[in-house]
Amino acid sequence: MIEKVGPSRVIFNILNYGFMIFFSFICIVPIWHVVMASVSDPRLLMSHAGIVWKPLGDITAEGYRLVLQNKSIWMGYGNTLIYVIWNAVVGSLLTVIAGYLVSRKDFRLKNPLMIFILFTMMFSGGLIPSYQVIRALGLINNRWVMMIPGLLNAFYITMMKSGFEQLSDSYEESAKLDGAGPMTIMFRILAPLVKANIVVIVMFIAVMQWNAWYPASIYLPAARDYWPLQLFLREMLIQNDTAAVVMGSDAAAAADFTSNLVKYCAVVVATAPILCIYPFIQKYFVTGVTLGGVKG
Amino acid sequence: MKKVKKGTWSHDFKINRSLYFLTIPIVLYFLIFNYAPMFGLVIAFQNFKPTRGILGSTFVGFQNFIDFFTGPNFGMILRNTVVINALGLVIGFPLTIAFALLLNEIYKKWFKKTVQTVSYLPYFVSMVVMCGLVIEFCATNGVITNVLVNVFHISRENLLQNPKYFWGINLFTDIWQGLGYGSIIFISAITSVSSELHEAAAIDGAGRWKRCIHVTIPSIMPTIVTMLVLKCGTMLSLGGDKILLLYNPSTYETADIIATHVQRMGIEKMQYGYSAAVGLFNSVVGTALLLLSNYASKKLADTSIV
Repeated sequence: MIEKVGPSRVIFNILNYGFMIFFSFICIVPIWHVVMASVSDPRLLMSHAGIVWKPLGDITAEGYRLVLQNKSIWMGYGNTLIYVIWNAVVGSLLTVIAGYLVSRKDFRLKNPLMIFILFTMMFSGGLIPSYQVIRALGLINNRWVMMIPGLLNAFYITMMKSGFEQLSDSYEESAKLDGAGPMTIMFRILAPLVKANIVVIVMFIAVMQWNAWYPASIYLPAARDYWPLQLFLREMLIQNDTAAVVMGSDAAAAADFTSNLVKYCAVVVATAPILCIYPFIQKYFVTGVTLGGVKG
Repeated sequence: MKKVKKGTWSHDFKINRSLYFLTIPIVLYFLIFNYAPMFGLVIAFQNFKPTRGILGSTFVGFQNFIDFFTGPNFGMILRNTVVINALGLVIGFPLTIAFALLLNEIYKKWFKKTVQTVSYLPYFVSMVVMCGLVIEFCATNGVITNVLVNVFHISRENLLQNPKYFWGINLFTDIWQGLGYGSIIFISAITSVSSELHEAAAIDGAGRWKRCIHVTIPSIMPTIVTMLVLKCGTMLSLGGDKILLLYNPSTYETADIIATHVQRMGIEKMQYGYSAAVGLFNSVVGTALLLLSNYASKKLADTSIV
């Protein structure tokens, strides 16, 4: 469309572009600050007020050396990776199965099962009874608490269900004629056709697991060996306790200002992977939100 | 192919045998992790002692609920829960829509794409990291404190120690983290508005402002209503994990919400019966809100959310 551009439009455009630039700036600045601070001279950093626009003093990798030498950071990283991969793989597999079951037209349990699953979206027992169940199962301070209780949720199942339901019945019918059983039909024939939905669910689970800290803080209070990365970060950033990382560094007197530097480095180490990946996976989140928001 | 006769359960079991087997793990999962806790809510009516178990603990009727409703902090906690959610609905939600509409007025493709990608960035920053940054920026000589001291001449202090600022900080960080991501749904609704409508309006002499008001906004109204209703409905089921990271005893006055209260009383102070009662109250009100919202959504936008 060709349109006349009046003066009010020009002003609006300038303001609009200006706002967008300002907003993008606000989104990026905190991260920029952290990255620049992480390579700054820790003494200067201590006395600096305001955003760190460029590295203060000589660029140093001292903070990264301390962080990467540290056992708890590596342990946290390892645990987080285990939880992310396990939950993404097993969780999405179970979600596909559940979604398949509730989308079968000639399966008598279809509707009862769907109601059974949907009801968990409407009402929940809440934190304390769930805690008691997990305790009774012996999962407190047990690694499996991060790998079983979060595997399925009703929301992803409805997302999977709508994916399966959009497929034409003829796929299944012709596969049946060729003598394929339900497992073959589900995994070999139908699942590849709803690949997009599966990828979206895998992404959702993976990002959520990477950033999760709350379940671990409740269920793994005394099992540091199983802590995900985010719990170690919480200890450093929120509870302001960097002793675990800074201790054992040669200069004990340096600990005070080194601890500040170490925080920034730990944030970078923990956040860099996801911030590098997200521009490439954002489209799945866009699809996921649209799928879940309108149809869910 | 001869259609299978819709007959008895045993007939269905015969043809769908493997589907039944696949159902078992799924049902077991939900039974253990979702339904067992629902039955576990019995402890809300007990003076529950884990060592004695559900069967051995003494029943106290509605005492736990009475303790909560008549407790010194009931009004405060309820107010905080409502206010913190309402601020998000009244300020955060319209901003998300406004952002989507403004972004739609940007005609340079690459610019729009870049802003969009950048706007998702805060969503991918973990809660712990974001709250860590907030704590740093709101410290006595932090960046945000400096700005507020210089611009609004507030007294210099740690902003997170002052209950006066908690709602503002919480709202601002919610917006920072959720604006771009929350706008996705509206952007996709806006792009699906038919261009014929726009062209017809343009021929009738409607400028871009008029078209935004009379074409775009009415077209995305169903999405707006659905999202609004969904937000109202899930209000109480939102966990307190962000607030847990940001609050401290000096800001409980404005920061303590039902979820954080349950967490503190239940997990830290181990008053299981009482906390389960508070949680049950939360769940019941939450479910009522959800059903009400669903009803409203059906009436208003002709879409059902659950």
